[in-house]
Order: sequence, then structure tokens, then C-alpha cells
Amino acid sequence: MDTLVAQYTQPKFEKENYSEDDQMELYQPTPSLSLKFAMPPVAQPSAWLRAATDDHANPNCPIKIAHGTTTLGFRFQGGIIIATDSRATAGNWIASQTVKKVIEINNCLLGTMAGGAADCQYWLAYLGMQCRLHELRHKRRISVAAASKILANLVYSYKGMGLSMGTMCAGVTPSEGPALYYIDSDGTRLAGNLFCVGSGQTFAYGVLDAEYRYDLSDEEALELGRRSILAATHRDAYSGGFINLYHVKEDGWVKHGFSDTNPIFWKTKLEKGEFSNVTSELV
Amino acid sequence: MPGFDFSNHTRNAALHARGVPLPKATSTGTTIVGCIFEGGVVIAADTRATSGPIVADKNCEKLHYIAPQIWCAGAGTAADTEFTTSLISSQLELHSLSTGRKPRVVTCMTMLKQHLFRYQGHIGAYLVVAGVDPTGVGLFTVHAHGSTDKLPYVTMGSGSLAAMSVFETQWKAKMTEEEAVTLASNAIQAGIFNDLGSGSNVDVAIITKDKTTLKRGFVKPNQRSKKQKSYVFKRGTTAVLNEKIITREDISKYVTVHELEGEAAAGEKMDIDA
Amino acid sequence: MAAMFSQNPLMNGPNYSFNQAPVTAAGNKEHAFNPYTDNGGSTLAISGSDFAILAGDTRSTSGYNINTRYSPKVFKIGGTTSTQDDATLVLSVVGFAADGEALKERLDAIVKMYRYQHGKPMSVKACAQRLSTILYGKRFFPYYVHAILGGLDEEGRGAIYSYDPVGSYEREQCRAAGAAASLIMPFLDNQVNFKNQYIPGSGVGHELQEREKIPLPRNEVEDLVKDAFDSAVERHIEVGDGLQMLIITKDGIEEKYLPLKKD
Repeated sequence: MDTLVAQYTQPKFEKENYSEDDQMELYQPTPSLSLKFAMPPVAQPSAWLRAATDDHANPNCPIKIAHGTTTLGFRFQGGIIIATDSRATAGNWIASQTVKKVIEINNCLLGTMAGGAADCQYWLAYLGMQCRLHELRHKRRISVAAASKILANLVYSYKGMGLSMGTMCAGVTPSEGPALYYIDSDGTRLAGNLFCVGSGQTFAYGVLDAEYRYDLSDEEALELGRRSILAATHRDAYSGGFINLYHVKEDGWVKHGFSDTNPIFWKTKLEKGEFSNVTSELV
Repeated sequence: MPGFDFSNHTRNAALHARGVPLPKATSTGTTIVGCIFEGGVVIAADTRATSGPIVADKNCEKLHYIAPQIWCAGAGTAADTEFTTSLISSQLELHSLSTGRKPRVVTCMTMLKQHLFRYQGHIGAYLVVAGVDPTGVGLFTVHAHGSTDKLPYVTMGSGSLAAMSVFETQWKAKMTEEEAVTLASNAIQAGIFNDLGSGSNVDVAIITKDKTTLKRGFVKPNQRSKKQKSYVFKRGTTAVLNEKIITREDISKYVTVHELEGEAAAGEKMDIDA
Repeated sequence: MAAMFSQNPLMNGPNYSFNQAPVTAAGNKEHAFNPYTDNGGSTLAISGSDFAILAGDTRSTSGYNINTRYSPKVFKIGGTTSTQDDATLVLSVVGFAADGEALKERLDAIVKMYRYQHGKPMSVKACAQRLSTILYGKRFFPYYVHAILGGLDEEGRGAIYSYDPVGSYEREQCRAAGAAASLIMPFLDNQVNFKNQYIPGSGVGHELQEREKIPLPRNEVEDLVKDAFDSAVERHIEVGDGLQMLIITKDGIEEKYLPLKKD
């Protein structure tokens, strides 16, 4: 309490002029993605923020932050497949159908986005910066393990503040080979062969677990990634839009399209006979 | 049993306690006014009905019939004003039949307040009751909790402050019918333009000893402008996966089909934008 | 403690948009600190092949009241004079007007300083990224605004960037934000991106061809914007009074103002 009172009982016009930080903001051509954030003047900022922004705890909250996703990544003999949907939802509102949920950290590292869109965009951009600095300092590319650890340590330092992100880091380095890590805002960091993240994860796991083998060919692997996301967009209302496919190889990642789910769904149904529960029969 | 069915009340209260939102009733966040003049009384209303921030009806009718010489303007929950006025209208007619006298405005007001008080404000009807009866001209307001007022000029609804400001600056005693109608219309327009819950047109009902005149759309200050583009789609623009045609012969297996001709065939016309 | 923070008397009045005090599902008030008001209104942006249009209504509301019938939501950013004549960027903000104003002022100052230091105007792409970091800087005490940034990209094509309150952003063809976004956005999907429109007679069943997406000419986009706002005014009580349109072309920014219904 005393600290709070001390913090807010200051001479009336003490901050009449711009602070040093405010002025620096104007002079710096590109501000560093800093670790300084404005805080609401209350005793429990995180509780206040949750009441104002978290629509799970409070469906009537004034600020709706974009959520809802299906993303997946898996390791196989030809590298790593990363696939995502492209829908962003704010409550029941579909805010966008064209979100890029694969973030290109650099030409051989990818990050995926689930949870708060801004959190993922900002902190993966920050991670990109740290990776580049690592390259300049050490004259070699950062390992995926190290990169994912930077992110995990970072979000752990904000634990309980209300960050919301479930992300995967995928990359192929000479030291590690293909490496895939899952990091979330609780501070969890896991290495693994196969992850699905987001509200549609269970649907994607259903397809992926059934068909996954390590010795999948490149073509089979891409198709499996695509088909798993399709299954999730079909059953999860918070996933949909376009399927974003990436293949991470030793010499960097390759993009395999940003394609509309609707024609893919009908192609899968009509040519392969799947989704036979969907009919246009009129009873 | 007559009256309200409370069988879902406990369940709904329990659901609401667990965070299930209540369904939104259409409310007429409204401006309604009434004003007496020499020889009669005028009531007026806007025509906007809202559901939250969305306009549910651009041209709804808020002036309700009670008796030939008694009319009522309603604000609050749309369904409550509608049903309360029609209920009291029926009771008042039976009352006048059994007494063999013309219905009185005070009787109407008393029945309304007793009905509303019984439900402790849960019936969200806010009313302006006006009419002419053998005892003279009557103008009252009735609140949802059952309180009433008797005044020469009254306003209610979310636009009541805007409307009252017009009355308070321009009202004078012993106005002519024309003056009173203009004043009431101006008061409604103050609500239409300055209160977001009110909008569209002005409806007016003028009640004198001899007759009642309902002027629907007395002023229409908010006509929609013409669209810049045409949004007619060519037939075949929408993808169709399958179609099934039900012929008259098919449907007549289950129901009796009557052919309608002339005006009856057209049905009631709907308001649609050009 | 509560008395330390100034309370806006307007917040205690009738308010349907959302309860000003964040409330839990159980209904108990949690905080006395309520820094936000919803000032209503709507904004809309559409980009074309060599232009971008940002538009917004000029009504500012709180509850059932109209604060003013003329408060702009669309601003020129980064000009060198007070009239902003030589600006190349446009920012629209809708939500809480005070946060919108603060955000505009801050971005404007930064873009002006960039121009002063580099001797050239900031590109939309750079400004878009900068705006994102500004918004994210208040991740734990957000600006309650939906921002849209518009300009011309390096190739001279129209560029629209839309933001959520904490800085997640994306380049788009078109975007509606604010109170009537849910009314306008589906209309735009259909009329700008031709969603759910097929070419009549181009095939049977699954062979039916989608209508080809072509960028719309400027006059048609202006008509769409007018029609979108006229329709939003009909059905949303917080939208109305005036329509302000800023049209960005290589020759500068043209401003148009049209009256809307005032009820």
C-alpha cells in the first residue's frame, strides 16, 4: 500500500514535460523491441487486464483480443512440416480469414502463432532480432534449442501477467538436424517429433497420429499436414480460412502455398470419398 | 391458470447465475410525449425500436388503442407495452359494457397502475395515457413500478429529457389543437435527433370530444437517401449444390390449398427499401 | 482508494454497450478503475490499384447521448505543416476517442521526426510496423482502439493495414472496424472480394466458377463506402451525422465530407 501511494502521490506538475523515454521515442529511428511496457495504475495490473481483455473469464469484456487457431508441426525424414489455418476470432466474431500464422523468423527458422496474435507477432519478431544478434556476435547461426530457450525464458519472465501464446519453433541446423520445439506462455518448452496447438488441436491430432510415420516421403508429409488442418477447420468453429503450408529443409524453408480450404474440402470429399458424412441430399 | 407462466423462472435464474446471458428483449428506447390543449389532448411518439445498439424496427407503432377516445403511448419493453395495453383495453371494454357508461381515462390509469404495481416493475411498461371522457380531458403517465402523474404536458422514455426541454421552453396554457400538435411533434423530433434510442418518424394521435385522429408518419424527417449502386444479383450467382421442387400437387396431399384472387392474394405489404 | 482515480460522471448513466465496470459472470464488480468509454462510430478502409480510401462517420457517443456530431476519426499523419497538406499516410481510429487521439498524436510526432531526420516521408510498411510496436508497448494497459493505417506502398499500390487493440496487424484489401463492423464487413466481403459470388451459367454443381477478383476503380469504391455507411446508419444507433473520407493517391490526400442521417 505504501509503495502504491508513493508511486501515485507525486508533485502535481512533476511530469509536465516529456520524459526522457518519450523524447528517445522520437529520436530513435527504429526503436528496439523493448521490454518496457506501460502499466495500468492499479495494485493488481494482471487482474485488471484479465477483467478488461480476457473473454473466457469475462464474456462482456470491452477489449476482445484475437484468439483461436489450429497449428501443427512434425518432424520426418525429409525435415519438418509446418501447417496452420488462417482464422482469427474475437469472441464469436471472425476478425480475419487471412492471418499469416507462420512467422518467418529468418530464412531457416519458423515460428507458429496460436493464442494472442499480437503476443506471437511481437515476441517472435523480438526472437528474430535476438537470433540475428546471436549470428553477429558468434559468427554462426543460432541453434533451434537456443532460440526456443530465449523465447521460453522471455515468456517465463512475464508469467502471470496475461501473455497468451502457444508457439512452435522449427528449424534445421547442421548441429541438430531438424528440430522442433513447443513453447507456451506458461513457460513450457518441449522438444518433440509432433505437435498440434490451438483450439483445433485435438482434431488435427486425430488425423496426424493415425497417419504419421517418420519415413513419410516429402509429398506424403505435405499432404498429411494439409489433411490434418482440413480436419480441424471442418470440426472447429474457431479454425478456418486458408491452409498455410511450409516445409523446413536443411537449406532453409520452402513455402507450399496459402490455399483456400473450401475447394480443398470438396476435392478431398469428391475425389477421395472422405467426409462421407457431408451430403447435399434433401430429405 | 390465467396470467404468466413462471415454470421456467427458477431454471433461468440458475442458468443466469452460471453466466448464461439472458435473451435480449426488444425495447423501445423511446421518446413519447403528451400535451393537453383547449378541448382535447395530443400524444406523440417516435417510431424506432432497438435491441441493444441495433435498430430492430425503423417504423414501429408506439401509440396503442385502449378505447375509441383513450389512447396510450408506450416506452420500455416492446412486448410489455403491447400486451399490457391490450389487456387493459379488453378489461376496460368489459367494464364499460357492464356499467353501461363510456370508459374514463382515470379508470384506465388506475387499472394500469394496479396491474403494474402487482408485478413490482418486472413488467417493463412505461406509459402515457391520454383521452377525453365525460369528465373532461385526461393526461397521465404510468411508470413500470406503478406510480402515476397527472400533468398538462408529459414526456417519457430515453428521449424524455430532450423532449421535456422543448416543452419547458415553449409550452403555454390554453393552446389551440394545431399549436399543441406542432409542439408535441417538435418535442418528439428533439428526442429523435438528440437521443440515440429514438429515431425515424413522428406518430401523432389527437383526441377531442368528438373524434380521435391517428396520424401515422405525421412528420418523416429521416427518409433514406437513394443507393449509389444497384445490388441486384444475376440469377445463378449463388452456388447451388442440390435442389428439390415441391409442387402444389405435392403439398396438397398434406394440406388443403385454396387459390386466392385479387387483393387477398397480395397479402399485407411489407416496408422495404428501394 | 477508489476516490484517488477520477470518476467520469457519464459512466454512471444509462449504458447499454457494455457495463463500464468489468464484471465477472457472477455479476460482482471487481475493480474501481474503469479508464475506458466506448465512443461508438465506425470506420472503413478499402485499397485499390493506385489509391486507398479510409472513411469514418463523425458521430461521437456515450451511452444514449451524442457528444458531438463532428469529431473526425480519420487523420492525416506525418505532414510537415499544421494543415498536414503534404502528408502521405492516413490513420483511422475507432473505440475510445481519448485513446485514439493519444495514439494519433504519438504516431504523428514519430512520423514527423522520421521525416525530419531522414529527409523523406516514412513508408507505409515502416509506419505499419512502428504503429504495431506502439500499440504493443501498452500490452498490459491497452489503447482501447481499432486502428487502420492507409497509404501507398513502394510500387504505388493502395495499402491498408488493420490492427487489433494490442498491435497484431495484417495488410488487407478492405476492413471495417468499430460499432458497425459486423454490419459492414460481410457487405465488403461480398462486394469487394466477391465472396459467395459465382459466374452464372459457368458450370453445373462443383464446376461453377467463382467470380474473378479484380481491383475496383476509385469511383465504384467511393460509391460502396457511401452505401455501406448509409446502410449502417439505418441499423446502428451509434453511427451517423457525417461521413468523412480521405482518399490517398499519388497526387496527395483528397478529403470529402458527406452528410449522413442525424437521428
